[in-house]
Amino acid sequence: MDGFTISLLAAAVQSGTPILYATLGEILTEKSGILNLGVEGIMMVGALAAFLTALTTGSPALGFAVGGLAGALLAGVHAAVCLGFQGNQVVSGLALTILGTGLANFLGTPFVGKSGPGFTALPIPGLADLPLLGPIFFRQDVLVYLSYLAVPLLWLFLRNTRWGLDLRSVGENPAAAAANGLNVVGWRWIGTMAGGFLTGLGGAYLSLAYTHLWTNGLSAGRGWIAVALVIFAFWRAERAMLGAYLFGGVMAFQLRLQAAGTHLPSSLLLMLPYALTVIVLVLASWRQMRSAMPAGLGINIEPPD
Amino acid sequence: MAISLRIRKRQTPLKLQSGLVLAGALVLSLALSALLLKLQGKPAGQAMLVIFQGAFGSLWALEDSLIKAVPIFLCSLGVAVAFRLQIWNIGAEGQYALGAVGASWVALSFPSLPWYLLQPLMLAAASVTGGLWGLIPAVLKLRMRTNEIIVTLMLNYIAILFLDYLVYGPWKDPRSFGFPMTRQFDTAAVVSKIGESNLNWGILVCVAAGVIFWIFFRFTRYGYEIKAGGENIRAARYARIPYDYLVMLVMVLSGALAGWAGFLEVSATVNRLEPSIMVGYGYTAIVVAWLARLNPLFIGVASLLLAGLRVGVEQLQLDFQVPAAFGQIMEGLILLTVLAGGFFVNYRFYLGKKD
Amino acid sequence: MKKVLSVMATALLLVTFCGGMAAAKDFQVGFVYVSPIGDAGWSWAHDQGRKALDKMPGVKTSFVESVPEGQDAERVILNMARKGYRIIFATSYGYMDPMLKVAKKFPKTVFMHCSGFKTAKNMGNYFGRMYQARFLTGMVAGAMTKSNIIGYVAAFPIPEVIRGINAFALGVQSVNPKAQVRVVWTKTWYDPATEKEAAKSLLDVGADVLTQHQDSPATQEAAQEKGAYSIGYNSDMSKFAPKAHLVAAVWNWSPFYRYIVEQVEKGTWKAKAYWWGIDKGIVNISPMGPMVPQAVKDKVLAAKKDLISGKLKVFAGPVADQKGDTKIADGKVASDKELLGMTWFVKGVVGSTQ
Repeated sequence: MDGFTISLLAAAVQSGTPILYATLGEILTEKSGILNLGVEGIMMVGALAAFLTALTTGSPALGFAVGGLAGALLAGVHAAVCLGFQGNQVVSGLALTILGTGLANFLGTPFVGKSGPGFTALPIPGLADLPLLGPIFFRQDVLVYLSYLAVPLLWLFLRNTRWGLDLRSVGENPAAAAANGLNVVGWRWIGTMAGGFLTGLGGAYLSLAYTHLWTNGLSAGRGWIAVALVIFAFWRAERAMLGAYLFGGVMAFQLRLQAAGTHLPSSLLLMLPYALTVIVLVLASWRQMRSAMPAGLGINIEPPD
Repeated sequence: MAISLRIRKRQTPLKLQSGLVLAGALVLSLALSALLLKLQGKPAGQAMLVIFQGAFGSLWALEDSLIKAVPIFLCSLGVAVAFRLQIWNIGAEGQYALGAVGASWVALSFPSLPWYLLQPLMLAAASVTGGLWGLIPAVLKLRMRTNEIIVTLMLNYIAILFLDYLVYGPWKDPRSFGFPMTRQFDTAAVVSKIGESNLNWGILVCVAAGVIFWIFFRFTRYGYEIKAGGENIRAARYARIPYDYLVMLVMVLSGALAGWAGFLEVSATVNRLEPSIMVGYGYTAIVVAWLARLNPLFIGVASLLLAGLRVGVEQLQLDFQVPAAFGQIMEGLILLTVLAGGFFVNYRFYLGKKD
Repeated sequence: MKKVLSVMATALLLVTFCGGMAAAKDFQVGFVYVSPIGDAGWSWAHDQGRKALDKMPGVKTSFVESVPEGQDAERVILNMARKGYRIIFATSYGYMDPMLKVAKKFPKTVFMHCSGFKTAKNMGNYFGRMYQARFLTGMVAGAMTKSNIIGYVAAFPIPEVIRGINAFALGVQSVNPKAQVRVVWTKTWYDPATEKEAAKSLLDVGADVLTQHQDSPATQEAAQEKGAYSIGYNSDMSKFAPKAHLVAAVWNWSPFYRYIVEQVEKGTWKAKAYWWGIDKGIVNISPMGPMVPQAVKDKVLAAKKDLISGKLKVFAGPVADQKGDTKIADGKVASDKELLGMTWFVKGVVGSTQ
């Protein structure tokens, strides 16, 4: 492979990473039976919290953690509305997107365009020199490496652990789970907030590693892509990785096509990632969709009398 | 044994008192917003007054809010049709864009027609383009079992970029000095204003659409079947309701209504097609539809309130230099509190003994 | 219905009456911005000019930010006019038609539209000849590139941006005829992540100097990380990329805004096109970084002098487009009208104008 392709693939990994974190978060949330369309708002708040923390303490690592916590807090609002007050999950999620974006833009106004400390590429000795894989996967920043760990961890958690099984059964069949003595509402709270944490990390990646800046609307629709990728991935972590990199790759590809001097109108090129998402979704949905979706997704559980 | 707060579902949901709950939720969200302003050192009480004045405090303001409510109302009515069948159409934004494109195509292609032919033709074209854009996710859902939330969402991006492509490329006005816009429509293609006011006859389209919506769901068989299908798909299928057909029908209607909004925006307010017509009405519409519980009259009220909020917040910016994002915060808070408030309509608290 | 409404309106207007009276004494100036003000971009540059007005005695300014172009803009401008603002500045090209509509209804208010081409009895338009500063920064880029590929991250293919790219390319070619300028459109004014990705895509095709027509400094960051050079826009962006930042093409609106307010106060304002250049300081270049050799600095500053004196014109023929067709004939200088409607790239620019 030539340098152009390798650099394209490396860019795919990097621009896919914030979407990957958010997609993993939403998978976790939806596996517990809660549909959270507030991903975009959570990413925005995560990005701002992370940036401000890094700026004031000088520690990007602390910033990353705080970005996640802020995401979890905002997701907690969603949990409160849907689990505490029986609010409609679709609307609550949309409201969360509006609120989160508004809060981040409002509170972040004095910091727009400021530059803060962040993560830069840190090649892993040894691995970075592997042919092909090295330059694509192992010359990235620490947060990308962390996402490599997050994917199998989430996969293992959901598949092979007691807790993961409990969380999934709450999402699949809340009535049966409750009959088995599980605290359905409790597990959904955990799923929503833990998912919000991961989503917040995705936002933090934008302001700490992808760029080292804060600006209004930093997330620029990436949260919605993550929502789409969850379905694309059939709620599976390893497929989320593929989807996020594919989307990041197509985005990076259309920019590189321009840089290489194409004469196609840029509006049509920019359609590529979205059109591709639809096409892949269609091809993939054909047979498997129904079985993969948590059966209890989006349906509130009425409190017992 | 301890006494604790417990909840129970009401036998019948609150009726009249639910207005009180709604008011309480609104007050809470306004109080939270005011608190946020206070923390930023702005005069909170005065600010709330300014928003109200800016939105409804004068004839002009009311006119402005009404004008802004028109596209929100039509898009919202559109998504409400689909939501009644539990089809999650998030794509009003794209259907609105395509409607604007369709109407513009007619306006640019047949400039010599008189207004009484041209404008109905533009409306028809907007219905077709908007409706077809809504039909795509419906067909994909039925044939390929794709999730309509995602497909409609992706089609929004594609529609906006398509509009971009047209105004940056083939439809660009050669006399616009290269700016991305079509040429200005002829007067025959512009929905005219009502008398001396700034309002245009598009308001009438809204009223008509609202009434048709009401009649459709109240008196026609399809309207009834859509409601039944939305409440219980399995039972509906069992009762031989043509579910697949209904899915396509609601998505076409939904898209057509959003298309109307696009037609009115390019014809009455902007007088040409340009990318600036895309300001997120389609997303606001979803919020409005839910706030209004899919009821056409309430959708009218909620559209006006949200439009008023946006108009009023501009006044707040002018008078107190509060960042624009504050309006979003208020919108989000109102939604969340109203949503949570719905709980008190359906449930009641009582003190009970813990087992 | 109408009666009830007007009673309501009168009541509410009475409430605000006192506040309104106090404000009427001031000379109120309003600004309409397309984006949040932020800290380095287009709206920020205008806001610096607004702040300068606030220091003038008797002048009071206000602004509305993030105003979408189109119907919302019309309402915001209308509101300012109703409130008795004396001058209204609208700072985005899409505000042109909305402003024109409002201007017809308020003949006593002065309307000023930035970056468009229409005027009315009480509406003028204004802009700065940023392309002059772009030309100078292009000279720096041409002198500093080794790969002879220079990357340009650009927002939207509109004349303002295309003019800047062309002037930049002509500046590059004036010192380095072999160098080419490659353009990537992001279709956004401020999305740092996409801008950075666009910058990286240019670095990947071999660019070693980058510049931008965007509001965020993401391009500067990308250049610094890759060890390439960068050229800023809007304001001095050296703090974002001290090792990469060669120079920036910067705006300075304060003298212009002061001038207009003074003219209106004196009653000598005219509704026409104001297009100020580097000679009046509305555009400029920031100090050049230490990595720029003295010889290059001298050459650029000499060119700046010639631009100020009028000896040097940026768009002086012969200029050919991408296909090689002559667009500006030998001995001719492009007119302002041609510059305003520029939709073609000069030879040596690689990219699409759509």
